[in-house]
Amino acid sequence: MFVPGLGRGYLIIREREVIRESKLSLEKQTWGVNVVRECVEQIKDGMLGAGYICDDRTATILYLAEALQKPLLVEGPAGVGKTGIAQAFSRMKAVPLVRLQCYEGLDESKALYEWNYKRQLLHIQAVANRQADTHQVEQEIFSEQYLLRRPLLQAISSPTPTVLLIDEIDKVDFEFEAMLLELLSEFQMTIPEMGTIKASNIPYVFLTSNATRELSEALKRRCLYLYLDYPGIALEEQILRLKVPGISELLAEKVAAVAHRIRQVELKKPPSIAESIDWASALLQLGLDDLDADTTLETLNVFIKHREDMEKLERTIRSRQDLSFQTPPVTGYR
Amino acid sequence: MSFLQVLQDFFEDLRREGVPVTPSQAADCCRALLLVDWTMEDYFYTSLYTTLVKEYGHQAAFKSVYRRHFQPGSRGEMSRQERPGAPDRVRRPIENTSTYAGDALPVHGMQSLRGGLSQGRRNPLDQPFSLASLDDVRKMETLFPVIAKRLAARMIKKNRKNDRCAIDYRSTMRQSMSTGGVLLNVVTFQKKKEKPVIVALCDISGSVMTFSCFALALLASMQRFFRQLRTFAFIEEVDEITHLLRAGDPLTLRTSVLKNARRVMGARGYTNYGATFKGFIERYGNILSHKTSVLIFGDARNNWFNDETWALEEIKKKAKKVYWFNPEPEISWSSGDSRMLEYIRHCHKYFSCPSLSELERAIGQL
Repeated sequence: MFVPGLGRGYLIIREREVIRESKLSLEKQTWGVNVVRECVEQIKDGMLGAGYICDDRTATILYLAEALQKPLLVEGPAGVGKTGIAQAFSRMKAVPLVRLQCYEGLDESKALYEWNYKRQLLHIQAVANRQADTHQVEQEIFSEQYLLRRPLLQAISSPTPTVLLIDEIDKVDFEFEAMLLELLSEFQMTIPEMGTIKASNIPYVFLTSNATRELSEALKRRCLYLYLDYPGIALEEQILRLKVPGISELLAEKVAAVAHRIRQVELKKPPSIAESIDWASALLQLGLDDLDADTTLETLNVFIKHREDMEKLERTIRSRQDLSFQTPPVTGYR
Repeated sequence: MSFLQVLQDFFEDLRREGVPVTPSQAADCCRALLLVDWTMEDYFYTSLYTTLVKEYGHQAAFKSVYRRHFQPGSRGEMSRQERPGAPDRVRRPIENTSTYAGDALPVHGMQSLRGGLSQGRRNPLDQPFSLASLDDVRKMETLFPVIAKRLAARMIKKNRKNDRCAIDYRSTMRQSMSTGGVLLNVVTFQKKKEKPVIVALCDISGSVMTFSCFALALLASMQRFFRQLRTFAFIEEVDEITHLLRAGDPLTLRTSVLKNARRVMGARGYTNYGATFKGFIERYGNILSHKTSVLIFGDARNNWFNDETWALEEIKKKAKKVYWFNPEPEISWSSGDSRMLEYIRHCHKYFSCPSLSELERAIGQL
């Protein structure tokens, strides 16, 4: 087992200390059961109001992230609502969402700040004829008005609290990730020409990742972790009824059940929740109220995006006519 | 035994199972417990989970350790949900410490200790290919897509790394004329990318079965990113299998290759590296050029056949680079019928990759 930086003996001693520090309060803890439960319920209701259904665990983790003021790292397959959770959270809190979409080659100048050097150049040109004091010019061109605020700086320097969503963090280079560390643990950022900017309101930070590469230990340590998986049938049914207005109970139930079953077939890209929502709306558009093998086959291309997957599913459905269009035996999930 | 001691034992056990728990994570965990009503098991579990587990691969280990520590009686996974809000097991360490310390802990402690010693690191990615049971292979398989994706991401990154080039002064000056001589835009040269040509040779004999499964699967997933990747399989003879590789289940992939490329078996069906290299240079020698990188996957166990090192030397001369990936640890390279030490003289670089994570690292280094 490797723990960076520390010898093992020291580690244990340090840990005892840390634990002892919190010991007193832990044992004296007086939280009523209801206080926490209320908070969690509140979050659940709030998120529901914002159009996002979360289960108990997700709500608890959201509560903890808020209480500990820690960033939340959300992982999971594509299309299970990783980004959606941040968006819903910002709607719930009624604060603006600042989104940083990560991509290959994203660097400081696009994520943090950049000097508007075109304006700076023009300014220099303008004062060049007037024999100005160089020191003063320097101060002028490195002032706030020549600073282009990129999402991260925006989130930190905002006078009101914000939700900062760093989407697909696994797409950025390792170096960029290291740069994020100061921001995520201290909620401050250093601009060499201006000094350190500290957040007046600590933003709620969400990071999402598709696990295309391993994130550094340092980053993971600073975050709380939430793994979002495909939902169980009951939860998916709720989601469908929330997201597809006008859907009948029967249809929602069947779509959820069939989608759940399809995910158990080994596919290249199992249908996500986003896709089952699309599928349900498509069925609704077609005026269908019930689901059977034939309609499934006809509308398969709405939620299966690979030819091989399609062929495989067609075979499965034809061979086993029962792809549980009746209510399926509920197997364990979550 | 106090509750905090129990927690600490739990951390220790997690570490033994390969889930890294740093002191700051331990502190976070305590702070999180302070914030919730931890006598409710749901809250207790969630707080531990969100502060200690930071990777999908660690979830299973965490669950099993958790079950061992805090749900001693339960067997099935569902038991936590069947007893919603039944905190008695969690509370037990405090209220009834003597029983817990007296019977439950030593047994569990011993179990985990023994498990820790015999199986070492539990992470399936670090599981040596040679010792993997079918069960382990299944575990590796489930994590394999993650590795393939990660490698792919790195390959793409590598290809793009050198996008930034030297400044093209001429164009920069020319552009600045429209802004009155002020250099607003800096123009750089565009670099022409060299497309890598890769030839992979993969031993698919029984002795390296697990390794070859994953090597083939990796090659299959790499085919999407390299237009010019040709894969050859060999046991006694060599044959092209590029068209047979589809991204998919590693185990079935190897079986289907064996079924569809009968030719590789040769007359006797024993691995013969010498004949392979010789056959390759004779039949496919013309596809090698100064742009080609040759990747060889195999254990170099030649069954005492002729080495034919000259053939590998010939390959090395014709190709740009020759890399060898060997599933055996370096100490055993000189033992038995392994001819690795002879062959590495004719390779530019060689890697020992006894486990999946090391294979990933080795390929990532290219």
